[in-house]
Amino acid sequence: MPFVRWLALAALLALPAASQAQDTRLTERLDAATATRVQQVVDSAQAGGLPGEPLVQKALEGATLGASDDRIVAAVQSLHGQLRRAREALGGGASDPELTAAAGALRAGLEPSALRRLQSLRPDQPLVVPIAVLTDLVAEGVPPADATRSVLDLARDGRPDDEFVALRRQLQQRGAGGEPMGRPALRPAADPPVDQ
Amino acid sequence: MSMSAEHDDALEDEVLRQVVNELRRPVPLDPSVDRRALDQIRAEALPMASRPDRRWVTWLAGAAVAAGVLLAVALPDRQQSTVAPTPPVALGPPAAGSDARPVRLRLAAPASSRVAVVGDFNDWDPAATPLRPAGDGGTWIVELRLKPGRYHYTFLIDGRRWARDPSEPRAAESDFGAPVSVLTVS
Repeated sequence: MPFVRWLALAALLALPAASQAQDTRLTERLDAATATRVQQVVDSAQAGGLPGEPLVQKALEGATLGASDDRIVAAVQSLHGQLRRAREALGGGASDPELTAAAGALRAGLEPSALRRLQSLRPDQPLVVPIAVLTDLVAEGVPPADATRSVLDLARDGRPDDEFVALRRQLQQRGAGGEPMGRPALRPAADPPVDQ
Repeated sequence: MSMSAEHDDALEDEVLRQVVNELRRPVPLDPSVDRRALDQIRAEALPMASRPDRRWVTWLAGAAVAAGVLLAVALPDRQQSTVAPTPPVALGPPAAGSDARPVRLRLAAPASSRVAVVGDFNDWDPAATPLRPAGDGGTWIVELRLKPGRYHYTFLIDGRRWARDPSEPRAAESDFGAPVSVLTVS
């Protein structure tokens, strides 16, 4: 069966090229073993339909900031898990930037149900900015439930991205003015913050 | 003895010359010979094409083309995403049709000799994006063009000190201990 033999030959020729395809940014900035470990996580993410670029950037961040190899790999693995959870929350239709933003939100302590609720309120609009603002509010010290309530209120009213950013600016100004960040709600709450 | 040998050589040369000339003389052929020869070649070629042992050659060629197409489709896609990914940032003037947005970063760092920014938009490369003095004696600035998304970044002052951007939120996570800001481009 020459036909089968040729196909097998083609597969054998393709296999080494595929298995050796490593991101040159990783191999240039990390030692060989660490680059391989990170590449395995990236490959696994991409095979599961997740973006690989945030994982590469996390590894490069660690390399530039002088982190140890194990810490870099651990951070990349952790982000991979967050991206997976983000996809579970938002579904397969979420864009890569949305997944990346949602992974950060989950890392900040927000619940997947908050992301799903936000998505249901903005079904046809990008979610990057609302998710980012939600994450930023929590990172600045607003309790997650309060931050979620404020952002969902804007989403429910169909407000544009600029108003979400304005909400964050408002909070930053309060923080700069010495007001406590953990106050109840930035806007009056009309509904419970998330689906329970 | 030697004269006889020379004579024999001369005779042989003459015979050879005549033989060669005779062989080189064009032979007149009937014009129909060429036509009959071509007809015969065609008649023999047709059965060759339908012979069973030629079929696997066709299959082989098809398999080679298919393998090539598969490799062309599969490998470059992987390499594009892992080996030579397109960076999310393009410095300089906006490209036509690009969805990148202009972003200006600034940092007050008086008494510093150089400031750079590293982040998700430049592969965290300290040499990629230096800031320039704004001319007011302490502020450093840089203009970027970033696609919509969320970017982590920090400043590097004098090549040895990290400083986050106080005008943007701090990153919720700090995997590596350094202060990092997060920028959202909408």
